[in-house]
Amino acid sequence: MSFLQKLINGVTRLNDVLGRWIALLVFVMTALLLLEVVCRYLLNSPTVWTSELTQFVFGVYAIMAGGYVMAHKGHVNVDLLYSRFSVRTQAIIDVFTSVLFYIFILAFLYFASSMAWESFQGSETTYSAWNPPVWPVKAFMPLAIVLVLLQGTVKLLRDIAVAINPDNALVLKDSIDDGTEEPH
Amino acid sequence: MSIEMITLLFFGSLLLFLVLGLPLTFVLGGVSVVFLYFTWGPDAFYMVASQIWSTMGSFSLVAIPLFVFMAMVLERTGVAKDLYRMMFLWWGGLRGGLAIGTLVICAIFAAMCGISGAAVVAMGTIALPSMLERGYDKRMVLGCINTGGGWGILIPPSILMILYSLITGVSVGQMFAAGVLPGLLLMVLTCAYILIRCYFQPELAPALPKEERASWPEKLKALRAVILPMLIVVMVLGSIIAGITTPTEAAAMGVFGALLSAVVYRKMSWELMRDASIRTFKLTGMIMWILFAAHAFSAAYQSMGAQELFEGWITSIPGGPWAVIITMMVIIFFLAMVLDPVGIMLITLPVFLPVVKAMGFDPVWFGILFVINMEIGYMTPPFGFNLFYLKGVVPPSITMKDIYVSVIPFVLVEIVGIALIMMFPEIATYLPQLFF
Amino acid sequence: ADTITWKVQSHWPGSSSSYEDSLKRIKRVIEERTDGQLKLELYEAGQLFKAQETFNAVSRGVIQMGTISPAYAQDKMTLAGIASGLPFAFRNVWEASYFHKNLGFEDMLREEAAKFNVYYSTDKVYPTEMVSKKPINSWEDFKGLKIRSSGALQKFLTEAGAAGTYVPGGELYQALSSGVVDAAHWGAAQGAASMGLYEVAKYHVQPALNIAGTDAFIVSQKALDKLPEGMAKIVKDALDEQFWIRTSEYLYKEKITLAKVQAEQGVKINTMPQDVQDRLAKVAQKTWDEEAKRSDKAAEAVDKLKGFLSDLGYL
Ligand code: NA
Ligand code: NA
Repeated sequence: MSFLQKLINGVTRLNDVLGRWIALLVFVMTALLLLEVVCRYLLNSPTVWTSELTQFVFGVYAIMAGGYVMAHKGHVNVDLLYSRFSVRTQAIIDVFTSVLFYIFILAFLYFASSMAWESFQGSETTYSAWNPPVWPVKAFMPLAIVLVLLQGTVKLLRDIAVAINPDNALVLKDSIDDGTEEPH
Repeated sequence: MSIEMITLLFFGSLLLFLVLGLPLTFVLGGVSVVFLYFTWGPDAFYMVASQIWSTMGSFSLVAIPLFVFMAMVLERTGVAKDLYRMMFLWWGGLRGGLAIGTLVICAIFAAMCGISGAAVVAMGTIALPSMLERGYDKRMVLGCINTGGGWGILIPPSILMILYSLITGVSVGQMFAAGVLPGLLLMVLTCAYILIRCYFQPELAPALPKEERASWPEKLKALRAVILPMLIVVMVLGSIIAGITTPTEAAAMGVFGALLSAVVYRKMSWELMRDASIRTFKLTGMIMWILFAAHAFSAAYQSMGAQELFEGWITSIPGGPWAVIITMMVIIFFLAMVLDPVGIMLITLPVFLPVVKAMGFDPVWFGILFVINMEIGYMTPPFGFNLFYLKGVVPPSITMKDIYVSVIPFVLVEIVGIALIMMFPEIATYLPQLFF
Repeated sequence: ADTITWKVQSHWPGSSSSYEDSLKRIKRVIEERTDGQLKLELYEAGQLFKAQETFNAVSRGVIQMGTISPAYAQDKMTLAGIASGLPFAFRNVWEASYFHKNLGFEDMLREEAAKFNVYYSTDKVYPTEMVSKKPINSWEDFKGLKIRSSGALQKFLTEAGAAGTYVPGGELYQALSSGVVDAAHWGAAQGAASMGLYEVAKYHVQPALNIAGTDAFIVSQKALDKLPEGMAKIVKDALDEQFWIRTSEYLYKEKITLAKVQAEQGVKINTMPQDVQDRLAKVAQKTWDEEAKRSDKAAEAVDKLKGFLSDLGYL
């Protein structure tokens, strides 16, 4: 296996493994919301923290999905014209459009980091009755973006390799392809 | 540079990069950043991060993973399959019967959920394979799910209607009441379309051959399949209506119901739970990353002066009040092709509403037209949230082109619906006048 | 001369009376007094930045001006909790005005905001009042209520014995309508009316939970410094004047709205019994002392407040 393939696999695996764990947060969100219903409706003593904590968990869940979805080719695109091109042409186009990907992701990374850092420094809290610190959630933003950035970068390297020599498309896999799975 | 020119370039580059196959979320985000750089400067990138952070903190979106997860569990346990088997046994003789059943489930889903994406993805998971399996035409199936999945914002509760009320000052209760009949109207129209089309083109939605139709004992036995889904509906809707939960919390009740079903079906296993949670994660992630970038995109467009553009247009339309209303509808329709609904509302409503009121139209009625129009916007190519959500859930044998083509007749049906509500405003205004 | 354009992010939606009366007013006044040299470009709630993000955006100078509730700046400004309202402190709006402007509380706020390159100016002071589906006629009635609240008031109401719970604005109408909660506060009469709350909750509860400078303007110091000679003063003077005009106008509109919903929607005024008020006031004072612990400045402000209230014979 080439070094490039190892690199690609490594990054994809990282996103995959992390994603599998974070995916379980859906149980946490369900449990928190149900807990609040029980406390408020049955016990008449709503908690101050459940709805906010649910929101936090959701934020982490949603932002951290970026890398996982990318590792599974799950970010939808319009394949109308694109799918008619040859593998090599697709790779060349992808190299070109990756510029826009990097512009977005790097700008987002810079300001998300600065936002998280500012939150940490100023010990920002939510000013709710529970009033928890915000930075632990904000810190997931740069982390999630770095994961997306890594996945995008291995994809770019693979596209360059394919653009140079289309045969590489056969040997280099850039994602976990679960797209062939037909619904049961 | 004029706002007209910016608009052209902004949406032009969006379409260009979309056609080049870059995923939607990166196109929206990237185009926003580039245009912000030229119209505002690099400081403005902070707004992109800030919009994404705000989206992470949007409580109504929590319902998305919950409803999607509920659907995944129902699909994996076989509850959904049995439900469709039951429908086929009962209505198998009717051409298009399953499509009608799907639309009814969509309407029920819409009453449980105030947002649109969750229903499309959920129904795409539950209904699509069952209908394809029975030889339904894929475009008929796609169009049906796309259209029905969008009703969540028209049939109360609806997050968009609440936003409409906040921006315009119209009563939420009146908006909710006003959405009910138009929602039913759209359902009836869509059902009628399917029945008529399938009557003449039976190959689109084949009926069960006479000799294969089930006997009465078999039919009655199959009815058991309805019990669990009904129970879930009662749990979700019941807890909203009885004041036990807010709509978002009700989604968690739905998950609870789905998990109970898994136990009843003896399918509850670590394997199934992990599997369902991972698919939910992937679909929710797809939806959320589109929303992240879409919110940044519409904020960017607003910062460039989008509102002034429409202010200028609206005041210079020739013809009477109806010409103005129709122009507004057309503007919303086109904006909905490229912008997220919240953005459209923030840009157009402050400009449109004073004009609508000054011409003596009922803002509640206008709000219903607005919401239906936005629904159509969700499902019209090239950009529409439902289109992309559906793409994220369908098997790879279905292309974006299939989805694009599939919506055309359904969009026409919805336009007929809008026309009817314009001609007979009572469809929208009857219930609110009755209750308030 | 060149015209300067400021982007102004509001925390009010377009339908809010303050968007028209406060924001559009200040735009008109500033543009008029600068002969059109300084233009304000207004953005409704959430268009560019959500309310929670606006202070940061102005502080960074990404946008030049904004409106906020001081609560959204509380992690930066230790006085924000006091500014956004200590429960059961003032009994009349004029008292809050006097505290802000004559006793120097506003200056203290400005001093703190200045550390973040922000010029702070209170838009108006006004009461926050509850609407309820059930009347409060006894302490038991109060304790039985599930009240939609937020921030410091949620904590206060919970400590006082009611079931304070948070429901996001978007779900508030539904929650109140179906009975997920029994009562809620969203500003006072105008706020509640704008959310349609009187359709589903017929009691307007008095007295106010708090009276405070709940709406404020914030201006980027960087943007002020860039203005030509004398223009910054025009802006600041216009903001100071705004406070007095808006405070009394808002109070007037509160009365009008309340009269209107009483006549048209059958809303009843529910005055909490004196013993309920007394018990609430007692709990309230504990939360004042909590706020005082946030910083030396906060302690100083709470001291000042207590002195003032003692002079008025309330303590
Ligand atoms: Na709905
Ligand atoms: Na569209």
